[in-house]
Amino acid sequence: MTPSQKTGLIFNVHHLSTDDGPGLRDTFFLKGCALRCEWCHNPESIQSPREVWWNKNKCIGQLDCVRLCPTQALSFSTDGISIHRDTCNGCGICVDNCTAQAMEAIGETWTVDQLVTEALKDKLFFQNSGGGVTFSGGEPLKQAAFVIEAFARLKKEGISTALDTCGYLLRPHLEELLACTDLFLYDIKEMNNEQHRRWTGVSNEPILENLIALVDVISQQKKQPDLWVRTPLIPKRTASRENILAIGAFIKKNLGGRINRWELCAFNNICAQKYARLEQDWAFSNETLLDRNFSAELLELAKKSSGMSEQVFLTGLA
Amino acid sequence: VNIPSRPNISSRLDTIRARRTQLNISHKRDLLCDNAEFLVYHWSGQSEAFAPATGEQAKGDRINIGDHNCRVDSGKPFPYTAEMPSKLGKLENTPENWAADYRFFITHSPAIIDPDELIVGDFHWQLDEARTFRYPEEVHQLGYQARKLGAGGISFTHTCPDLSIGLALGWNGLLQKIRENRARFEAYGNEDSAAYLRASEQVVLGIQEYIRSYAKKARELAQQEIKPETKAIYQQVAQCTEAIANDKPKNLHEAIQWIQLFQISERMHGHGNGYGRLDALLQPFYEADCAAQRITREEARSLVAELFLRYGNYFSLGGKNREQNDATNEMSWICLEAFDMVGGYNHLGVMWHSKIDKAFWRYACDVVGRYGAGCPTLVNYDIFRESELRSGYPESDAWNVSYSGCQWYCSPGNEYSDHDVNCLVLVQPLQRAIERVVSQGLDSFEDLWNCYNYEVNLTADALRDFKNATYSWQPKVWPEMVTSLCAHGPIEKGRDITNSRSVNNAYTSVNVLGVPNVSDSLYAIEQLVYVNKKYSLKELQAALKSDWAGLEKMRQEFLHVPKFGNDHSGADEMAVRVSEHIRIVLESRQNIKGFNFRPSLFQFMGHTYAGPMLGATPDGRLSREPLAHGMNPMHGRNSGGMTATIRSFCKLDFRKYQGGSLQIELQPNFFPQQQRRGDLVDPFATSFFQMGGVQINLNVIALEKLQRAMEEPDLPEHQEIVVKVTGYSAHFVVMDRKFQEEFVERVNYKRL
Repeated sequence: MTPSQKTGLIFNVHHLSTDDGPGLRDTFFLKGCALRCEWCHNPESIQSPREVWWNKNKCIGQLDCVRLCPTQALSFSTDGISIHRDTCNGCGICVDNCTAQAMEAIGETWTVDQLVTEALKDKLFFQNSGGGVTFSGGEPLKQAAFVIEAFARLKKEGISTALDTCGYLLRPHLEELLACTDLFLYDIKEMNNEQHRRWTGVSNEPILENLIALVDVISQQKKQPDLWVRTPLIPKRTASRENILAIGAFIKKNLGGRINRWELCAFNNICAQKYARLEQDWAFSNETLLDRNFSAELLELAKKSSGMSEQVFLTGLA
Repeated sequence: VNIPSRPNISSRLDTIRARRTQLNISHKRDLLCDNAEFLVYHWSGQSEAFAPATGEQAKGDRINIGDHNCRVDSGKPFPYTAEMPSKLGKLENTPENWAADYRFFITHSPAIIDPDELIVGDFHWQLDEARTFRYPEEVHQLGYQARKLGAGGISFTHTCPDLSIGLALGWNGLLQKIRENRARFEAYGNEDSAAYLRASEQVVLGIQEYIRSYAKKARELAQQEIKPETKAIYQQVAQCTEAIANDKPKNLHEAIQWIQLFQISERMHGHGNGYGRLDALLQPFYEADCAAQRITREEARSLVAELFLRYGNYFSLGGKNREQNDATNEMSWICLEAFDMVGGYNHLGVMWHSKIDKAFWRYACDVVGRYGAGCPTLVNYDIFRESELRSGYPESDAWNVSYSGCQWYCSPGNEYSDHDVNCLVLVQPLQRAIERVVSQGLDSFEDLWNCYNYEVNLTADALRDFKNATYSWQPKVWPEMVTSLCAHGPIEKGRDITNSRSVNNAYTSVNVLGVPNVSDSLYAIEQLVYVNKKYSLKELQAALKSDWAGLEKMRQEFLHVPKFGNDHSGADEMAVRVSEHIRIVLESRQNIKGFNFRPSLFQFMGHTYAGPMLGATPDGRLSREPLAHGMNPMHGRNSGGMTATIRSFCKLDFRKYQGGSLQIELQPNFFPQQQRRGDLVDPFATSFFQMGGVQINLNVIALEKLQRAMEEPDLPEHQEIVVKVTGYSAHFVVMDRKFQEEFVERVNYKRL
């Protein structure tokens, strides 16, 4: 096999994760996103180019970062280090020269070979647990060519693959992805298109059409990949009775019997500190976690409306 | 894979469980040690073992290790101390003198029977609360020399008898065996062995009298009792104890009661032994009872549960049999179900191997995942056995290996290998090596390594001399005469198990404290002092002396040189080099019994207190920070995820070491709600063992809950929290504050 020079920009790796697919998995988070969800839990993923951020708990105040920045994008005040995102070009000189490792890169370049090598180290855990590799983000399909080549290589190495996607960019890559993807984790966030536009910045029509197209193609396949639908339960947004009923009805009508699981993923606010580090406001900073009774009610509605009582799960409750 | 769901607990057992928990959290089972020196060096120069709770040798501000004591505190000293034979007469360092004390002591220890309990046996005092336990001054002098160089050890309390010997013979059978051998030695004119066996006879007669006192007390209680069910249980206790005071156990109930009273009689020495493979020990009795249709599965489960609720000792399940096939049997399941039913404080271990019953293994993984308190401890039988074989145990001893304590394992009845209570503090030789290099003006990494090698050897010599002096006195000062009854050799040879030429195997295992700190330090020095030449060793020495004061940038540089536990080849190679080195140094030392020293990559609690005693280290560690626990990477330094840590870990060949547990504290939200926890713990643990790992201590506990428990220890929900601290379990609220703080610091895994 010729070594691949294709590269991707990855901003995080979780080893032995149980959050994104079955078994124990390595989840690679790819940088860049097609949507702009208000509640985004990985705000550092949104921009496609490499960025940097500052960890104040590690900083020892040497200020080499400020001095060495070629674009003068960093400044220091009593509040700490500020990063001017307009001028920062992500060169990483501040990261390389920070003794305390308080300046951190968001996004490292990985070749397909590096990624496959890293994943192979955990293959035994995948095999014993029925797990594998998940690509998440961001939206992995912003780097579709990298995803497809990496998945193909992982499959050759006997590693199961899962794609966590918002579906928006799926259509052009459908055929190629089907050949190398064992599991699609497909988000349906909101059925009301006006609200979908307002909250995510895009229409949900291509997302739903792509999903139907995916289901159609899957059903013609000999070896069919698994398909899980996932819905984030965001307070005052997607976590409404109407929305769950509407998604359930959509699943029943269009996807009946073709999906393996529907996960309702409970809101959490762990990412608030990421927004703080990015010096961004987050509308959900003070949002309380989902009420247990209400989420249980939504779960019941989801089961009834979709007609898949055994395959609907609520995840991520504290 | 189908596995059982948690069995329902009867209200009777629930009451016993509540009583047990109350004893533990009300500080009735605290295990004390003299001071921080004891934790770090496993020897304080004050007590010869863990600190006696009462009596002439109980003094000073002691440290509470946790509710890890088999003894139940009564709040009072032993009332008959003044009448002990060694007090009325003369204290002599002979087995006869010891045995006379022991017989007096046990026969003046009360029978403790609580209502509605079928399995009885507790004790209030250890013998060292009433009999002076003191080695001669010459031994202490060697102890202080070893301490100065960074080593110590109490040479006491950790082995594993073979209870199948006692279960097969009963107390009368043991007595007869002693008398036959005694007569033989008398006939040959071997007065030493004959004298030892005369003393042994006194020990057994004392134990029999003690067991009869349970029968007597139970009969009295039965007579006074009005409630018919309670009365019936007292009568059963009377009948059972009466029978086993003389004869070998005839059924499962008697076998379990025999085990409990043996443990009690033995623990009065002050022991911390393991007790072997419980499933294998009990299976013949269960089979016989089933064949005679005199027991149900539920009754068997309930009896085992009562044994667990008495104390919760180190037992093991699973492993392989003599033919190297899976040894899992019906009692393995029943024992695990019994723990699943009652939960809480326990030290059960399940021994994985490549051929283990998959459903049983999944069940064990599910139980530890659900309770989240490190029980059962998951251990690798294949590595245990091969490690014993590598040491030199014969096949006939090694196959029966049993998880026996924190990180150690024994061939039951075939060894007195002095586990777990010897320590070598590896940081100290490194510190001396740095001083030597600076003062002699040497200038290469290999110079530093050579000095380190020299200093480690000095420390090992001091430890060997101290241990050997102790060993030469041990059979006289504090023979382990009850343990010797259930071992292969001591009675046949008339030589105490602590003596040379008594049992087949008598190695000296040494806990090595600070291996990751030393290897990370050496690697950082190699990189920054000798490769990059950024600092001189002299500058580093000054920085360490000042605890890095005003040198934060320099400290960060040392801190950020790659560390062990991240699958970094350079850092890990140094860890392997350091571990192999200490192994070779120790293995080249011999004890007076003709066996070599062996390293254990574990140390139970010294890392919590050692920091300020040793000062800052070149790995970027501040003086106030703890050391690494065992071979686990320093808190917060394994940034590459658990699998990277495991790969680093498994670069070591654990057959060459006497244990090295992987300690994991996981947050509960790691497990998806809809998923059975065993379905994730099993593949994780199986993979680790397939890679050559030897032991996993798994805690699943919410960080916030522990923090709240530190603030409000009296809330019932907080009092119930049990954690696997290192190799042992404790109720969290009972633990020393410093232990709690260190434990909370570890709980950083939201994911693996």
